[in-house]
Amino acid sequence: MRRSTYRAIAVELLVVAIASMLFFASGCRREEVTHIRVKKALDATATSVLPGMGRGERHAPQARDGKSGLKWTLPKGWTDSAGSGMRFATLKPPVAGVDVSVIVLPGPAGGELANVNRWRGQIGLAPIDEAALAAARKSVKTKAGTVSIYDFSSEGQNKSRLIAGLAAVDGNTWFVKMLGDADAVGAARSDFTRLLQSLRRDAAN
Amino acid sequence: MTPRISARAWDALTSLKLTLVCLVLLMVLVVACTLAQVNLGVLPAVNAYIRSFLVWWRVPGWDVSIPVFPGGALVGLVLVVNLVAAQLRRLELSWRKAGLWVVHAGLILLFVGEFVTGVFQVETQLAIEEGQTRDYLESPREMELAIADVTDVRHDDVYGVPESLLASRKTIAVPGTPLTLHVKSFFQNAELAMTGGDARGSPVNMGVGISVEVRELRPVSGDNEIDRRAAYVEPVADGRSYGTWLVSNALGAPQSFIHEGHTWTLSMRPRREYLPYSLTLKDFRHDVYPGTDIPKNFSSLVQLVNPAEGEERDVLIYMNQPLRYGGKAFYQASFGKNDTLSVLQVVENPGWLLPYVSCVLVGAGLVLHFAFALVRSLTRRQAPLEAR
Repeated sequence: MRRSTYRAIAVELLVVAIASMLFFASGCRREEVTHIRVKKALDATATSVLPGMGRGERHAPQARDGKSGLKWTLPKGWTDSAGSGMRFATLKPPVAGVDVSVIVLPGPAGGELANVNRWRGQIGLAPIDEAALAAARKSVKTKAGTVSIYDFSSEGQNKSRLIAGLAAVDGNTWFVKMLGDADAVGAARSDFTRLLQSLRRDAAN
Repeated sequence: MTPRISARAWDALTSLKLTLVCLVLLMVLVVACTLAQVNLGVLPAVNAYIRSFLVWWRVPGWDVSIPVFPGGALVGLVLVVNLVAAQLRRLELSWRKAGLWVVHAGLILLFVGEFVTGVFQVETQLAIEEGQTRDYLESPREMELAIADVTDVRHDDVYGVPESLLASRKTIAVPGTPLTLHVKSFFQNAELAMTGGDARGSPVNMGVGISVEVRELRPVSGDNEIDRRAAYVEPVADGRSYGTWLVSNALGAPQSFIHEGHTWTLSMRPRREYLPYSLTLKDFRHDVYPGTDIPKNFSSLVQLVNPAEGEERDVLIYMNQPLRYGGKAFYQASFGKNDTLSVLQVVENPGWLLPYVSCVLVGAGLVLHFAFALVRSLTRRQAPLEAR
């Protein structure tokens, strides 16, 4: 072959190589939303009723500000475990598809209306005003003080339901919230109500 | 019909002057990158100077960047072209020059290997405590917004939105779900502070972010520092808005809402790559020389389980002895938590063998070339002796 032919072939190969490198450099890391299905992680913090305590009783640790905590009596078949982050405790009823959380925050924690509207937003409901708040509130007197209870259901074909109790105790605000599928929450409602009625100050603190 | 090539362009492409210019440019880039590491950190400086085609400079007072210098990738590419072209032009195709052909091929492979590494190498890490099992890796620098359907008691459906998509501030549809994400703001790095009540000027009306004030900061530059990414996002499902949430890797537990009986959680976390196998840390050892605090050895005894392959075995990972499995190399990198936490650096580089092959080729080529030269030299000496 003539020298010019070698040259032409060489340049063509170089052009192909450069084009390939530039293509890979520019396009190889196109970002997109990924999806994967993973098995549930085991809850390493799950614990049963603490030994030495009365059956069904839960001794809540002290609230964060060092003032008194709260105790409650677990309904039959319910378990509890220590929470993480902002969650004080997680309660598990014997009904699947329901999440029950206990959260304590210092002070008014934003106020009752803001928190109720946040719960409503969590199940896709529009916010309400003070008048509607008062109408939706049910009050229960407990040994820890008055607990305001709210019960909301979402719209749509697969309804969700939220029942929550809110109590101001010694400068802290306690939120006990049950959330899940409407039927499951309905099945656990009476037990949850009894749990709220059992709230009392932690005598040890 | 062979295309006509400009003789002058061909001369320029094959000239030794071009080789020298490229080498000088590379030296300048190395010095500039070294100095830039002080402010940018190692990885950003390497990406800006060495692994880019152009070095950009942000014009002061303007929101525009202009290229001011060729980057390492461009200089390397020109050098490879120059090397190949010069070889084709000057080296004759004969057995006498076979050694030089092999040497040049090794050099070219070295540049190609660096290019492959720059484009395809992925570095992640695996932080694992004794007794823990992990089936995923995490990026040390990149975050993702993980949107998970946690309704099912057996599994979670996790959708990962890369931070690059959040940073573009577009509306992001999450495929396979009824969700669309409206990204209102994205912060590369931010300071988060709890306020006594609602955060002023914040669009957040859901979740823990209502009481969190966000202040944007410059991205960190230290190699041991991590940015606190933050974003305001609004998930919308079937036309129903679920409010505006603050997501950040500085927040704690995931935040959740319920749509049509499905519980969705939102959390900003290091970008994950899930593996088809798992590693369990059975024992981490940190040995020191007797009577001193000088580290002698770090090692992690892990159990590798791959159900698809029916594989279950123990592997010891220690310094300079990585576990090579599934196209990845697991190196012992760091440790913590009173020697109960092991951090493995995981490198995936399809071109990891190329530098070794390159060295072998260069060495073999040199040996071949000098062998031919020796034989020719001996032959020339022998001829006059025989003539006598």
